[in-house]
Amino acid sequence: MMNLKAYLDLYEVLQQDRSTREERRNFGLTFPELSKQPLQQLLKWASEKRVTLKKPLLSETLSSYLYGITLTLSVFAFILGLLSGVGLLSYNGHEPVNVIYFMAMVIFVPLFTMLLALFSMLRANSAQSILVHISPAYWMERMVSLLPNKLETQLKGSLSDLKVSPLVLNWLVIKRSQMIALSFSLGLLLALLGVVATRDIAFAWSTTLSVSPESFHSFLNTLAFAWRDFFPWAVPSVELVEQSQYYRLGEKLADEMISNASFLGEWWKFLLFATLFYALVLRLFVYALSVFGLKRAIARSFLTLEGAQALLHDMNEPLISTRASTHEKGFNSEEVLYPRTIDRFDRSYDAVLGWAIDRQALTVINETTEVISPALYETGGANTLEEDRSIMEHCHGEVLLYVKAWEPPTMDFMDFLEMLLQKTDKVLIAPMGTQSRQYQSKEKDLNVWARKLFGLNSPKVWLKV
Amino acid sequence: MEEMTHPKFAVVGHPNKGKSAIVSSLALDDSVQISDTPGTTTVKRSFPLKVDGKVIYELFDTPGFQRARRALEWLEGHDVSADKKYEVVNAFIHTFKEDPKFNDEIELLEPIMEGAGIIYVVDASKPYGEEYEAEMEILRWTGQPSMALINHIDEDDYTAEWKRALGHYFKIVRTYNPMDVSLEQHLSILESMAQLKEEWTAPVKASMDFFQHYYDAMLHQSSEAISQALQSAISLTETLYFESDNATEAQKKQLETHYKNSLRAIESDTQKSIESIWKHEHLEKNQNPLSFDDMDLFSEASASLFGLTRKELLMTGVSSGAVTGAGIDLLFAGHTFFLGGAIGAVAGGVGAYFAFNELSEIKVFGKTLGSKYLEIGPMENRNFPYILLGRLLYHTSVIAKRSHAKRDKVVFEMQSSFKEKWLDDSLKKELEKYHKKFRSGKAVDAEEMKVYDTLIYGTLQKLL
Repeated sequence: MMNLKAYLDLYEVLQQDRSTREERRNFGLTFPELSKQPLQQLLKWASEKRVTLKKPLLSETLSSYLYGITLTLSVFAFILGLLSGVGLLSYNGHEPVNVIYFMAMVIFVPLFTMLLALFSMLRANSAQSILVHISPAYWMERMVSLLPNKLETQLKGSLSDLKVSPLVLNWLVIKRSQMIALSFSLGLLLALLGVVATRDIAFAWSTTLSVSPESFHSFLNTLAFAWRDFFPWAVPSVELVEQSQYYRLGEKLADEMISNASFLGEWWKFLLFATLFYALVLRLFVYALSVFGLKRAIARSFLTLEGAQALLHDMNEPLISTRASTHEKGFNSEEVLYPRTIDRFDRSYDAVLGWAIDRQALTVINETTEVISPALYETGGANTLEEDRSIMEHCHGEVLLYVKAWEPPTMDFMDFLEMLLQKTDKVLIAPMGTQSRQYQSKEKDLNVWARKLFGLNSPKVWLKV
Repeated sequence: MEEMTHPKFAVVGHPNKGKSAIVSSLALDDSVQISDTPGTTTVKRSFPLKVDGKVIYELFDTPGFQRARRALEWLEGHDVSADKKYEVVNAFIHTFKEDPKFNDEIELLEPIMEGAGIIYVVDASKPYGEEYEAEMEILRWTGQPSMALINHIDEDDYTAEWKRALGHYFKIVRTYNPMDVSLEQHLSILESMAQLKEEWTAPVKASMDFFQHYYDAMLHQSSEAISQALQSAISLTETLYFESDNATEAQKKQLETHYKNSLRAIESDTQKSIESIWKHEHLEKNQNPLSFDDMDLFSEASASLFGLTRKELLMTGVSSGAVTGAGIDLLFAGHTFFLGGAIGAVAGGVGAYFAFNELSEIKVFGKTLGSKYLEIGPMENRNFPYILLGRLLYHTSVIAKRSHAKRDKVVFEMQSSFKEKWLDDSLKKELEKYHKKFRSGKAVDAEEMKVYDTLIYGTLQKLL
């Protein structure tokens, strides 16, 4: 059902929803028939998620608040209508009751207020709609809401954050105004029936304006257009109109009126039908319009609720996931201070090795670093492990081992180094940059080497920085 | 070999050559650990592309080769014909499965021997070295379809020598920079992956459609988030109840501060959701420009820099005023033709000029009825929507273009020229209609929001 309760439930569900994208998509796939009916889909989602909301639900709190305030105002309006009716029909036995007052209350005031209501409906889209704001229901409600009240205090928190469409709020005021007006009309009807049943009233009509009975009759006939063909006895005859015209200072007609006192009572039928048609049937029609309007406003506002579009998207769009299903273990990348470093090469070493650096490049590097050595070997790279083992046999004393600074030390290198350390007294690892950078290594590359060598923790291993 | 259910691709290579960065960028996952430190990846990780739970293809991030020469020596110790080589690789895995020495080799070879295609990654900003040949030879032993991806971690370029070497081992050699990747580049790599094996063509091509759809959906979601933020921010009202006879200046200040904070919260929440839409949930950002400390959202400097200048705003005011004037003319059946337009234009323009600085008036309600409260909002500042929109568009354009492989801090430094990239006169007029509506507090129905979304979507498309 697309009603205020469903709207508020969805509002609350969307506000508090912590569902995952997967859950939403699963829901969409579970009810594929709803994928083309966004409103139905949202309603279904709200009804499924409603159970997860904290009690009392916002819809319940607000409904109970609205119900309470509407009932109070309706009862008040009913009593007001009843008292107004009794007051307008009060007959003191000396002067007849002027039907024009009662007609004004049951025909002209309702017509005017219904016209206002229709304008309000047309302007309901505007938050600042003055026509909505001049509604008695709106102001009565404002006054009631400003009075200290326990429920009001409870509601203040949730209502101050409530972001309901102004369209819905305006239609709510319009609908409830019509309910209150309907209660007022019922009060008038009851007053009329009660007074007619319990008292003998002489009705008359009186006006300062020069209106002939014929014109007045014609006017009444027009007002009775809705029932005159079905209930002709409920339309005052020309004679009745003539005989019930009342002049405060007239003697002649006063006598006539007295002689036709029972005839003058016939007016009640017209007043009853006028009340039924203008104050009740038409009001019911406007009320029905307001119910329809509110329903439509709610339907329109469902899709504009914050989060509704995202929810629909999540439910109806394929769920594409690209991420790893397992969590990655953290790693420690702290910088370390390698304890054995040198910043200048010695003049000579017992052997110079190049890890994955060919002999030609080694010679150039040695020239750059001004290092001399009786032995120069290429290790790693395209060498076989056997070739590397054989080179190690020729190594002793202090060995300078050039490495490509940008290539991180692999375990292959570490295996080689460990074996080399068994044959030598000291190994100086010299990470070299690329030729285009004049073999200067980068700080971050040196850190990588320092960290790896730190893990080896060998006093024989030195690092050129 | 196990029966294939969906295409699998193992991203392998030497340590520290950007394998994880490539996986991170292809899988749109900013949680993958990427570092200069070698050995960050110690176990293989699977990154399946799933659509509604169905795996379309699977990427594996693997550790780098550590003892390639040793492993190759073992393999070459078996003199077998080419069709039996993969059995030797399987035997290697079987033999050394529990041996920590070959942990990394086992981790990277396992998915390959389970049927994954090989994506061999090298860094062409460093020279080629013979030490790579052992790795490529091992991969050749597996007999699986393979391609090479040339990554550029630094500025130097040794692509030519790498291409010559890789050409000996791989049929497909492609360049791919995971740090600077567009949707087109992403799709182009998928296209190459689709060519590795005939059976993989259809599913991988389907994944390309999904990615395109996914990208478009992210754009749509972002534009919806931005539209929602604009509507919420412009129509925002804040209330402060007070007990005394009159509200104090402190209470007014408190309300204004609360109002500004709520607006800032709308911006930062929207940014977070946009980051989440684009899968940048682990983003480190330079927050200073976004916290408005030195570039306040409400300062005139930022108003002119990111929103519209007084003159531009005046133009918008004049045009929206002229619309009002046209409305007046219509009411009077055209009799006031030029006059109505002129009145409207002047009123709108003046309004825009004076609404340049102020946010919104603070009004007092309920003074005569007992329960009194102050109210601020909706936003009356005509420039504010353009400032907020500009900032959100800029943020989205940075986030959407950012590779998931990047781990550096994002610094949002929007230049004043950014405005020229997205805002033109016709867009200004279109946007102003909706900003006016948001400001009026009128209900905006889904269709109208859709039109506003479309304007934002189009702008985002232009920016990206």
